[in-house]
Amino acid sequence: MLLSLNLNSLLNAMPGSIAQGLIWGIMAFGVFVTFRLLDFADLTVDGSMVTGGATAVMLIKAGVSPWIALLAAFAAGMAAGFVTGILHTAFGIPGILASILTQLSLYSINYNILGKAANQAISVNNYKLLASLRYVNSSGSDRIIFFAGLTAGIVILIAVLYWFFGTEIGQAIRATGCNESMARAQGINTNFIKVLALMISNGLVGMSGALYAQCQGAADVNMGRGAIVIGLAAVIIGEVLFGKLCEKRKLMFAWTLLSVAFGAVLYYIVYAVVIWLRMPSENMKLFSAAIVALFLSIPYLKGKYGKKGVKRNV
Amino acid sequence: MKKMRKKLFALAMASVMGMSVLAGCGSDGGSSSGNGSSTSGGDSASGDKKYVIGICQLVEHEALDQATKGFEDALKELLGENVEFVFQNAQNEQTNAGTICNAFVADKVDLILANATSPLQAAASATADIPILGTSITDYAEALDIADWTGATGVNISGTSDLAPLDEQEKMLLELFPDVQTVGILYCSAEPNSAYQAEKFAEYLTADGIAYKEYTAADSNEIQTIASAAVQECDVIYIPTDNTLAAYTEAINNICLAAKVPVIAGEEGICKGCGVATLSISYYDIGYATGKMAYEVLVNGADISTMEIQYAPNVTKKYNAAICEELGVTIPDDYVAIVVEE
Repeated sequence: MLLSLNLNSLLNAMPGSIAQGLIWGIMAFGVFVTFRLLDFADLTVDGSMVTGGATAVMLIKAGVSPWIALLAAFAAGMAAGFVTGILHTAFGIPGILASILTQLSLYSINYNILGKAANQAISVNNYKLLASLRYVNSSGSDRIIFFAGLTAGIVILIAVLYWFFGTEIGQAIRATGCNESMARAQGINTNFIKVLALMISNGLVGMSGALYAQCQGAADVNMGRGAIVIGLAAVIIGEVLFGKLCEKRKLMFAWTLLSVAFGAVLYYIVYAVVIWLRMPSENMKLFSAAIVALFLSIPYLKGKYGKKGVKRNV
Repeated sequence: MKKMRKKLFALAMASVMGMSVLAGCGSDGGSSSGNGSSTSGGDSASGDKKYVIGICQLVEHEALDQATKGFEDALKELLGENVEFVFQNAQNEQTNAGTICNAFVADKVDLILANATSPLQAAASATADIPILGTSITDYAEALDIADWTGATGVNISGTSDLAPLDEQEKMLLELFPDVQTVGILYCSAEPNSAYQAEKFAEYLTADGIAYKEYTAADSNEIQTIASAAVQECDVIYIPTDNTLAAYTEAINNICLAAKVPVIAGEEGICKGCGVATLSISYYDIGYATGKMAYEVLVNGADISTMEIQYAPNVTKKYNAAICEELGVTIPDDYVAIVVEE
């Protein structure tokens, strides 16, 4: 069977994987903000991804410009993040539980956004969508415009995030994530900061959901299932593989975000290889979880290993 | 020195990542994927073109499996050795369906079989050129966002629908339970096909002046609750072809049978588990019909954009003997008992 594998077809599948990876990269930025900067395991994303997608699809179907729909998806995602933030800060529900509660409730909300349907199709034949698998596979200028636009979008997003996390309020988010007590001692309203970071994070996730739904040609009430794992995988693969390259560079934060986007792309490339090798894709979930567990454990194991080395040197 | 070691470590990690792909996914290589790799490398009769067909199935599920099997059987009969199936399962995730269909398009397969709604939408997004056939899809207009439906899609898509004749199902319910007061319609809200059937079924009930109540579960955890509520308030229950409920017929049966409330099912699998009777379509049959459509498109050059969506060729009235006996329901002669293989 291996003989029948054709390297060309793998290469041909790459543009699609890269496009999917870049769109999920936006989602991974969101995960990066909560998981890495704020040190908050936010599971809202499984739901807010759908909220963003559903909002965008319904608006586009109602005749709204896809660009405005994208902004609306960002806002819808922010609203979801706001709820998690309030549940956590104002009502004292532990973070992970608060996010699970929001995620759960979002199922009903998303269902209602989708007009009491589980699935709303949006065809690239009928609307001028921002993203579509069709553009990826077309041979004409659509493809170039799409990839150029997506890449430019990612770069702009990184620039905006770089700028934002350099401002006083952005720094406050990072400080809160590093040491909450210390941040509070510095006069930072950590509750406000947490809500804000969750809103930004889920806004990004909602935006990614909007692009993703257009890409797939439908918003589905289940489309965010397991999103957090893909987001985490992107963040962690990016950090582990490119972390060293980013260290001590100028604009290190921007490079780190870029590596997160690369992490998402890599995730989809690996998946494309799995499909190309014609392995039974049923095992993909086990594989994703194993990858994330492996890469999550690396810093810990490294620490252990590193310490021993230091002792020996002494 | 230390830098070196770190680099080696990173390299080792990368190779572990690669290995885990092979280990995790290759362990039961090919056993469950029916991609029919060429069995005999012998004949090199290159006169006939060998067709490669990508199959994207939403999830492991008996009905969907049957449709895929019917499709493959039809094409194997018609094309013999000259067809190769690349089977991929999306594990119930829209994301995966996109990746899979993208790989098919990149692979330049000759035709894509999209088994269920999400794969169809992903395939439709991925290509406007490669012919796509759907199966196990209830309503193509809804799934593909086509406003003025004419029976064919007008684009590179056609296929078969798994819609059982709902009006006949409703007639069957009234035939078996003429004294029914309120019908409870149970389905999973995450399934667009079920909602569509529930809506149609409710219309037919209303036309006959029968009251109905809808009970929806968001996921499998809620099935027990809605079933318990339904048996309190209704005297007959109807379940459409719902994949989520189909997986929990045992739980539904334990509630409905205990409450002596009969269930009319949308398909045979559900009826076998918890139903009194069903008007059955065979997913194997619609898969087989889709296979014949594929042959028309690939070999006879039929124009897929004008091919009308086909429906199940045969419907059979079937009943579950064990449950009918327990409830004391008398079944007319033209029903066939469902074979329970023990």
